[in-house]
Amino acid sequence: MPHNDIEHILNAINAVIVGKNKPVKLALSCLLAGGHLLIEDLPGVGKTTLAHTLAKTLGLSFQRIQFTSDMLPADILGVAIFNRDTQEFSLHKGPIFTQLILADEVNRATPRTQSALLEAMEEHQITIENQTYDLPEPFFIIATQNPSNQIGTFPLPESQLDRFLMRIELGYPNAQAERDLLLGQDRRQLVHDLTAVINSDQLNVLQDAVSKVHVSSALIDYIQKILAYTRDSGQFVYGLSPRAGIALLRAAQAWALIAQHQQVLPEDVQAVLPNVIAHRLPLRAQNATSDFITDLINAIAIP
Amino acid sequence: MAGLSLGALPHFIYQPIWVAIIFIAMIFWRIMAIRHFWPLPTKQISSFKLIHLAIAGIAFVLLFISYGNLIGRDAGVALLTVMLSLKVVEIRNHRDYYISCFLGYFLVVTNFFYSQNIPTALLMFIVVIIMTASLISLNDSKKSLSNKGLIKLASSMLLQAIPLMLLLFVLFPRIAGPLWGLPQDAHSGKSGIDDSMTLGKISQLILSDEIAFRVRFKDQIPAQSQLYWRGPVLWQTDGITWTELNKRHVMSHRPDFTTSGNEYAYTITLEPHNKRWLFALDFPSEPPLTPASHYTYDGQLRSIKPINQRQQIRLRSYSQFSLNPKQDDVINNALQLPDKLHPRTRQLAQTWQQQSSQPTELINKALAYFNQNDFYYTLTPPVLTGDTIDRFLFESRRGFCEHYAASFTVLMRAAGVPARIVTGYLGGEINPVDGFLVVRQRDAHAWVEVWLEDQGWIRIDPTSAVSPQRIDQGISTIMPEGFNTPLLMASSRQLIDLWHTIRTNWDALDNAWNQWILAYGPELQKEVLQKLGMTKPDWQTMALWLAMGFVLVSLLISFYLFYHRPRYDPVSQLYSTFCKKAARAGCVRPKQQGPLDFARALKQGYPHLSQQIDHITELYINLHFGKQTVSMSDLRFAIKQFKFTPSN
Repeated sequence: MPHNDIEHILNAINAVIVGKNKPVKLALSCLLAGGHLLIEDLPGVGKTTLAHTLAKTLGLSFQRIQFTSDMLPADILGVAIFNRDTQEFSLHKGPIFTQLILADEVNRATPRTQSALLEAMEEHQITIENQTYDLPEPFFIIATQNPSNQIGTFPLPESQLDRFLMRIELGYPNAQAERDLLLGQDRRQLVHDLTAVINSDQLNVLQDAVSKVHVSSALIDYIQKILAYTRDSGQFVYGLSPRAGIALLRAAQAWALIAQHQQVLPEDVQAVLPNVIAHRLPLRAQNATSDFITDLINAIAIP
Repeated sequence: MAGLSLGALPHFIYQPIWVAIIFIAMIFWRIMAIRHFWPLPTKQISSFKLIHLAIAGIAFVLLFISYGNLIGRDAGVALLTVMLSLKVVEIRNHRDYYISCFLGYFLVVTNFFYSQNIPTALLMFIVVIIMTASLISLNDSKKSLSNKGLIKLASSMLLQAIPLMLLLFVLFPRIAGPLWGLPQDAHSGKSGIDDSMTLGKISQLILSDEIAFRVRFKDQIPAQSQLYWRGPVLWQTDGITWTELNKRHVMSHRPDFTTSGNEYAYTITLEPHNKRWLFALDFPSEPPLTPASHYTYDGQLRSIKPINQRQQIRLRSYSQFSLNPKQDDVINNALQLPDKLHPRTRQLAQTWQQQSSQPTELINKALAYFNQNDFYYTLTPPVLTGDTIDRFLFESRRGFCEHYAASFTVLMRAAGVPARIVTGYLGGEINPVDGFLVVRQRDAHAWVEVWLEDQGWIRIDPTSAVSPQRIDQGISTIMPEGFNTPLLMASSRQLIDLWHTIRTNWDALDNAWNQWILAYGPELQKEVLQKLGMTKPDWQTMALWLAMGFVLVSLLISFYLFYHRPRYDPVSQLYSTFCKKAARAGCVRPKQQGPLDFARALKQGYPHLSQQIDHITELYINLHFGKQTVSMSDLRFAIKQFKFTPSN
């Protein structure tokens, strides 16, 4: 039963990541929708722990790549090495051949290295020396980045931002959660002790269930209104792309599944909207201060 | 404020300089207040308040000095302009802004008291757009529109108003004659044919490029040499000046005439000249219906009232005519000559008379005299002093139409043939763009009529004996090359042509404006409405049509709105009745709130109704967003049953 599975997953994660219900749900819905996740926050608020916990509970193989400014694409993808016995080149696989990758501090790497992730994220395959290699399925990237005003960062280009289904922030825990953190067990030990709640087959079933959540034409109308507003209102440098529209729908479906709705509701769209579109919409300078997502939601009547 | 300034700008031309000074000073004060925080007059008594009041007082005094009172167009508009500028400094709150804006609209209207030509209309249209934009900006409390956006919105609003404007323009009952007899357009004192002629006077006209009138011929246009536009007839002379014969009999009696030959029907659009006479192609068969007018005995058409606004005149003329063929008392006036003047001219005429007593032969002799001696047609003749006729005929021999007409008349009278001078215009230029014949002041002309027994008054143009070109091809051939062209352009042929094209096109546009917009008075309205099928265009019918037009326009708008109305499916409609019920109970659903969130909000206010609210929400979600597995009647029933009862 998908709902039971989801509940178990959430319980397992929330046991480790305390007091972060909404970000955890968003992260899970992002992975269930088959999208990549970008976590943007200060160091030490639990980005890595969240990624690791997700991998463990979903029963995925996990690799962490710490991005640095001197990193090369080969460090991620791997290299082709000549094998004397077979007289052929064989691939020495890099860390990318993993189901769930934590690309830590992705904006510390140079654009060249960042772009090595592009093909992998979109096509679920990589190319080395004209040879194409499929990546394991399911394949997720959870990238973390420091706020871009920190020293020594290369901000991700828009094309790459667009490939992340969601961008979430964790933020500081509230007082109670912080107390639990301080008094409770070591997080690393907790993660280490976690056992998989589902296997990859069950994950496939869940992902299927996401795409099967009913979408009515009224809801499509609503999403189209949102897209049209971002394009026509003049508040943004440019509007949302069709890919962003699809991403919004998938994310809303996943959210609906987690919220145990039989169908996608406008509330589901509104719940994921800030995290799906905020990193895709370049604001005009004069609107930069306003809470534009709330304005956008308030401006659009539900059909 | 830009709108106000633009709107007031044309007024500066018509008003004393101090109005402009005060206006500019006040605007400057305001701008400095905005930019550099200059102090403005306050509500309480303060020095700035006193300055403001002082300026107002000075303005009043100046107004009284300039106009004597505050009644009347000029004084009223000046008062409005000054007061508006004082108000600009005094703007404190929203209401003041509104007042200034609406007064600005009024200022726009007052501009049309003075001028109603195309540039004014365009300028005022721009002003109205700016005013409307400021009104929008006043109501745009969030400042969500940029200046460009404001102008765009204002323009589109005004464009949407155009159908209504057209409807009102065509159908609103017209009052005969504009209010207050405006706009005079300051036409008084403009050059034009006079009721007297002194040698050398028409020459000033000939240098004037102003349009005297425009003519639209119904069918064919007569040859250039036949385009004699008949104006005042001059009889009496004191040797220098020629004047009309101002006798009651002449002024009020219809002449005895018959017409024959080609018939020409045409409409003249006469520019105002503040005189009574009309111009008509020689010779009109009957006086026009409008303006009310009559014939004089010497064949002029005279309006009852002076022509001080542009006037359309329908006329019908014939190429041949015989005028007053019978001998009468008046003819003696055509033999009058000042005593003891023109001795040499009289001598010459008398020698001719001795050779032949036939008037036709005398005429031919005089024409031949002009033709065979070294007379020249020139627009810049030497200034004549003393006995002008004698000196012209025997010494200078350089002149234009009026010299020839005057000396010919003197010759004829001296020889005993009755003669008189007719002034008017000759020729005109056809504008190729709209086909109107444009007659300008420079086409002014003078010719002679002599009376022959049994034939009546015959037109003789002595100028033709000297310069046939003037008659056949119009005045422009006589003009020096490049005349009427801005100096810089005169150098290039192509530029001259280009200038000519621009001029003819502008003339045509201006004419169309005059013909259809400004001339749209009661008569034209009547005609247009009759063409539209209104059988009896009185004001009741017009009001009816106007009402019908309004209904039609609003019907069209409502059809449009109906067609583009937001489509609600039945489920949404049911849900919206539920929402309305909730709204009546004081729980309004924001348009962006989803059904689940709304249900949650409702349940907070009405926890005892949770079950029903959940039920309705569930049904609605299933029907609207879900797979529609439940029936709509369930939802209808549930909503019908539902009541917001307060909990006990």
